[in-house]
Formats: sequence, C-alpha cells, structure tokens
Amino acid sequence: MFTDYVLLMFTTAPRRAKAVFNVLRGRRTVSTLFAGLTYGCLDLLDGWHGVALDRFLVAADQLVKDELLTAPREGYLQLTPAGVRRQRELRQTRYWPTAWREFQTADVRRFTQVSRLALQVGSEAVHGQSRYYPVTTNPSIQIRVKKWFRPWAASELGPALYASLHAFLASLTVAQAEVFVRSLTGFEHPGQTDQQLATEQKRLPVEMLVMRKDLMCQWVRWLKAHPQDPLWPLLAPLVKTSAVSKSAQQTYAAFLQHGTLSEIATVRHLKLSTVREHLLEVAILTADFPFARLLSDAQCAQLATIFAADPNIADWQFSTAQAQAPDLDFFEFRLYQIMRCQHA
Amino acid sequence: MPKTWTKAELRQLLKRKYGFDQFRPGQLPVIQDLLAGQDVLAVLPTGTGKSLIYQFVGTVLPGIVVVVSPLISLMQDQVARLNYQGEKAVAALTSQVDYGARLRLLGQLNRLKFLFVSPEMLGQPAVLSALRATPISLLVIDEAHCISTWGPDFRPDYRDLGHLRHQLGDPRTLMLTATATEQVQHDIVSLLAVPTAHRVIYSVDRPNIYLSVAQLESEAAKRERLRQLLTTVTGPSIVYFSSKRQTELITDWLQTETTLRVAAYHAGLTAEDRYKVQQQFMAGDLDVICATSAFGMGINKGDIRMVIHYHLPTTLADYVQEIGRAGRDGQQAVAVILYVPGDENLVRNLNALTAATPSEIEQSYQRYQAQPNRTVDSEMERVLTAYWQRGATVAAVTTQFANRQLAKERELQSLLQYVTTKDCRRALLLAHFKEQAPQHTASCCQLPGEPLPVKALGLDRAQDVKLAPPSGWEPTLAKLFLPNS
Repeated sequence: MFTDYVLLMFTTAPRRAKAVFNVLRGRRTVSTLFAGLTYGCLDLLDGWHGVALDRFLVAADQLVKDELLTAPREGYLQLTPAGVRRQRELRQTRYWPTAWREFQTADVRRFTQVSRLALQVGSEAVHGQSRYYPVTTNPSIQIRVKKWFRPWAASELGPALYASLHAFLASLTVAQAEVFVRSLTGFEHPGQTDQQLATEQKRLPVEMLVMRKDLMCQWVRWLKAHPQDPLWPLLAPLVKTSAVSKSAQQTYAAFLQHGTLSEIATVRHLKLSTVREHLLEVAILTADFPFARLLSDAQCAQLATIFAADPNIADWQFSTAQAQAPDLDFFEFRLYQIMRCQHA
Repeated sequence: MPKTWTKAELRQLLKRKYGFDQFRPGQLPVIQDLLAGQDVLAVLPTGTGKSLIYQFVGTVLPGIVVVVSPLISLMQDQVARLNYQGEKAVAALTSQVDYGARLRLLGQLNRLKFLFVSPEMLGQPAVLSALRATPISLLVIDEAHCISTWGPDFRPDYRDLGHLRHQLGDPRTLMLTATATEQVQHDIVSLLAVPTAHRVIYSVDRPNIYLSVAQLESEAAKRERLRQLLTTVTGPSIVYFSSKRQTELITDWLQTETTLRVAAYHAGLTAEDRYKVQQQFMAGDLDVICATSAFGMGINKGDIRMVIHYHLPTTLADYVQEIGRAGRDGQQAVAVILYVPGDENLVRNLNALTAATPSEIEQSYQRYQAQPNRTVDSEMERVLTAYWQRGATVAAVTTQFANRQLAKERELQSLLQYVTTKDCRRALLLAHFKEQAPQHTASCCQLPGEPLPVKALGLDRAQDVKLAPPSGWEPTLAKLFLPNS
C-alpha cells in the first residue's frame, strides 16, 4: 500500500511532514531541499512526482489513526513504538528503490514514454508489422521516435535492441529482469499491468510501480555509461549536466569566477536574496561546494561551539545562533548547517 | 461545383482504401449526403462502423476533419485506431499534450487530415483561431447524444457547440450517435443550429443480442449468479459496474473464485495500464473485463459474446450503447442485467451528484457576482459558473436543472420497466425509441420464469484455456526483438 511507503519516510525523531512529502513530489524550494538533506532523503527527490500533497496527507492521517505515527507538534510526525516495529517488517519485505537519484539528472518520465514507444516500434518492425495500436498518441513523442527509427533497417535494429537490453537486464536480479520484460509492449505482447505483475511476483501493485520506476532509473544510469547503445540517442537530449537548476548553475559559475554576491546580482539582474538561494541550492545538491569562500574559520568555530551539545542539525534555530553572534545572517547560518550535513 | 460520386465509384474507393466489398447499413446514404454538401444527423446502431464514415469523407474532400469527442481516452483510442490503419496525419488535442506540442500542432494544422478535440478544447480562443485559418472539410460531433445528456448539468461546453460551429464558418457537419430518442435528436439539431440536417435514422435493434434480466434477492446471490454466468456462458465478456471500487473488488473475487483471466478497467488506472488491459482483451488474452462505463466507447472487438450489467445503467440509451459492444461480428451474443430490488437507488445517488437545489444555484450566482474570477472548488460550482459566464439567469438555470432531474427520473423509470416487465423486453426497449418490435421468438429475450437458453443460443462455454506457465525473461525478450524466434 502507498501508506507503507509513507511510513518508511519517518523515524523516531520528529520530521516536518509536508517538507518530507514535498521532497518526494519534487518541490525544489531551498527549504524543501534542505529538509531532504537533513532527513537523508534527497535521493528520493521527485520520486513521487505528480502525486497530490493531499494523497500524502490522507495516508499520514491513516497512519496516525493506526497509531503507527504520532504528531508531537503541529506539522511534525514521528514513529510510535508500533510504527518502529511495522517499519522494521516493511524494510524486510517492501521493494525499496536504489536508483531514484537519476530523477534529478535526467527526464526519466519522458524517457519512459519515449522508450516504450521506441521498443514497441522496434519489436513490431522486426516482425514486419506496420498495423498496430501505438502505446502513445502524443505527437511530440511519436515525432521523436520516428526520427530515431528512420535510419535503422529492421533487420539490424531488432538484434541491436536485443543485445542492448540483454546486456542491461543481465545486470539485474532475475525478478527485476522479468518485471522489466513482461511490462514491455511489442509484437504479440501487450505487456502486463502493475496489478498482473504484482500477482505474479507476490507483491503489491504499488511495489511494482516503485520497482518499475526504479528499473527505469537503473536503465537510464546504465545507458549513461553506454553511449554507443542504440537507445542512447533517445536519452541523450533528456540528460541534464547537474541536479542543480539552470539559473542556479549560472549563478554558481559566476560565483566560481570570484565575483562577490552583490556583483553577481547586478550582472545577472537578480535580487541578492535570489543569488543566495541559488548558492544554497548548489551547496545542497553538489558535493564539493567551496564553503570556505563564504564562511570564515572564526564563524565556523563560533557556530560549532554554540551547537556543540546538539547533534541534530535540523533542529538548530537561527535565533539561538543570532543571540550569541549578532552579525551572523541567516544565509551564513543555513550554509553552515548544509556544510555540517555534507561533511558529517 | 463539387464532384458527384456514383455508388460504384464510392464502392471502388471503399475496396481500395479499406478493403471492404460492401458498405455497412447506413454508411452509404450518410456518405452520399455529406459529399452532396448536406449536414447529417446519423443515428446508426453500435457496430456499424460509424468512424468509417468520416474517415471516408476525409479522404475524399480537401481540408481537415475535426472530430469533437467527449473523452480523452476515446480520442486516444480513435487516433491509435487511425494510426493502426496507416493514417499518420492525425492528432488529438487534449490537456495531456504538453503546451509546446500543442502550439506546434496548432501551427501545423494544414498538415493534418484528422483532428480530435473535446468541446472544452474547441472553445479555447487559440484553437478556434487556428481552426478558422484552416479549411475544414467536415465537422464531426461524435457521441452527439452528449449534447443533450451531458450538456445541461455536466459539460456545459457541449451547449456552446452551435455557436462554435458558427464561428468556424458553419462547416459541413456530421452528428453521430448510436442512440437518440426523438427528444435527443431534437436537442442535437436545435442546439447545433442545423435545422435542415438530413436525418439518417436506423433501428437501435441488434437482433443477435439475446436480452436477459436476472432478478435476485441479495448481493450474495448476485455475485453467485455472476460467477455462474461467466463460467458457463462463452466469452469474451464485459461486466459493467457503477464504481471503480466494485470493479476492483469483483475482479479480485473472480480471480480467486474462478480460473478465468479477468482484469479491471476504470478511469483510475494509468494510461499505460488502460492500454495494456484493452490490448490484452483485443488479443484474446483475457476472458473477462470488469469495467466502469469508461471502457468500450473506442473498443472495436467483434467477438464479445456477453455483456453483463452488475449495476443498472443510468438510461436505456446507455444500456443500448453498452450492450452494443457484444456480437459485432453478427454472431449470437447475450446481454444480462443482474438486478436486486433497490439497485435503482444507486442510479438515483449518481443522478443526485449533478443536481443542484434552487438555493444552491442562487448562492452560486451570488458568489459569482461578488467575485467573478474566484477559484471554483467543486464540479457543480464549475458547471454553474460556466452558466453565469454565459450570462444565464438564476431562473433559467433553476428550471434547466429541475427539468434535467425530472428527465433523469423518467429515464430511470423506463429502465425499471425494462427490468421488471413480464412481456417482451425487446418490444419495450424498441418502443422507447419509437420503433416497432419484431415478433417475439425464443432467441429474442428472456421472459420471467424462463431459464437463460445458453445451449439453444449456442453460447455454452467450452473448456477453459490451459495457460502455459510464463517463460523467463530471455525467451520473451528474444520473441520481442529477434526475427523467427
């Protein structure tokens, strides 16, 4: 059930429920990204794209009613002892994604649609079929696949697709490979639904949804490492160079060229606060952010002292820091929190 | 001066383009009328190949065929079907097409031969102005009965179609439906403002579909009867339900209780799963589909042998549409309603969802007056707001809603008469559409106390298909992508 996956997002320490859900829904505000970083769930960013916040809230309410979660204060949720036990069981049984991080650096959803049609077109062509119901009637996807397909001779495309998919599927478990192949649509093979796959695999339909999204992410990761693959040209335009948004990347590039934040704001026609937000986004989403350019050793030492007794970085309050370091601004405080999370 | 086509020429084209030797009943006169420049209201029974009519006219006349269609899934099916037939210059303009692709599509309308749109999409200024700049060979209002049945209290944009048609320059228009009472025909023609349209009306009767009703005492008895029917009458079968939840519950139950290959189909499934279930059914990989009415409008499977209504349909017209998915190959088929007294309340509850009391209508109007651009938070408010935006008065809307609810109750009473009648059901059904019934025979319908003559109809079920265990991923992959494997 969907609620199982919601329960798996919580711990015995209180978490801001909406922030957790917004990470899953792919909301990219700095406050959401920061929550994802401190709660250790950034890998799942955008994994439940398109799912309404209400659906998460309803699931959370149910878990509270079932006494698996409790709300220690408004907006926060944590596991109850029964929740801890249930979560332990779920961790043993429910399929858990391993490659959802790919959602950040590729348009996996678009690739899912494009590749479904491409594999169908390839499979039908191999068997000399031109009369079939396409899996999608979306014109832009049809055009994309048509361009990819045109230069291929069917006699070469089929074996090339077989070899490519075989190589990728051999890297998975047997169950994963079976789910991937049985869900495909092609010649005399409409493909199985999540419900049908779940029955066969003795899992829940929602697990098949999670698994299939994960398999798609794993496939994307595999294709990135195999740019000679016949399907790579369909993925290439959907790959991003970084998880960071384009605008924040431009701000960061200017920052690396040693501009001051005010100069960057002027050159890029942005507010100073936006420049700061961009840099926080970069600091959260990249591993090698040069914190030392914005935080002095003295500031770091002072903040380390202030919060020495509190290891839970997400709980630190700016007001606590400001009381002892009145010159400190929120940007520096948040940056220090991010640095501590990254270098923990 | 438009070219005059002889029957022989039209038949030749039919053979060359579609591979058929003969037109099906109704197709030829409608095509002839349209080619002669007439607007046509065509009421043709389900399974007569209505879409061939506009495809045919589209290939003959220059310009684009614009098909107004009620459901996204239906449009996608129609586009997929045209793709299947080799027609590439076809697209559906729906909310599921992203903004950029939509703009590209509108910029290249002259490259398209067929465009499917909803009434709501057609009313958008960008769509309307792009279409005004494109020669339209034919405007098709598919499922035209929706103008009358959905327009008043569910999809108000349906009532704007006459105005939109006029803005498009009053193109030649084909109104298509499988069922329309005289009142519905009148609504269609008057709301579209095509008073001179030729009416080509064929009987709704499908003599090869045996009509049956099982009156049962309880829900448990109903389930048991369903199981018994599905395991003794030959399939493939469709079972219709009025809710997604019931569709899934009974699917699970049948999967546990029988060896039948069963799948659920409803609007809550993803587009991918809907496609797969539909294609599995078409390919004969499923024995039974448990569905809401979302299933079937675009389905063209000839060998469906049984349609069961686990819950009552909302009207006799809907019933005729839904059972019309059976026996399209002309072979014997059967339609069964499973009825437990009180089931009609479910229909009343559904009808009530689109009802609004005079005070609700008045309050909605006041809210609109106070804040015309507010966000509407309910389906009813959206419908009512559409009326206020069109300048309707509270009195007119109140009357409209009251009349619609009365009409729905009358429709329900007609349906109940059909369910509970002690006489020939076909006669009653046809009388509803002002048609004469043929002589009652043993293969016509089930009278009270009579058993369902499964054997006599030649519908007794053969042995279940023995399923081979699923093969591993490698052989399946090879079958998909390696020739001769």
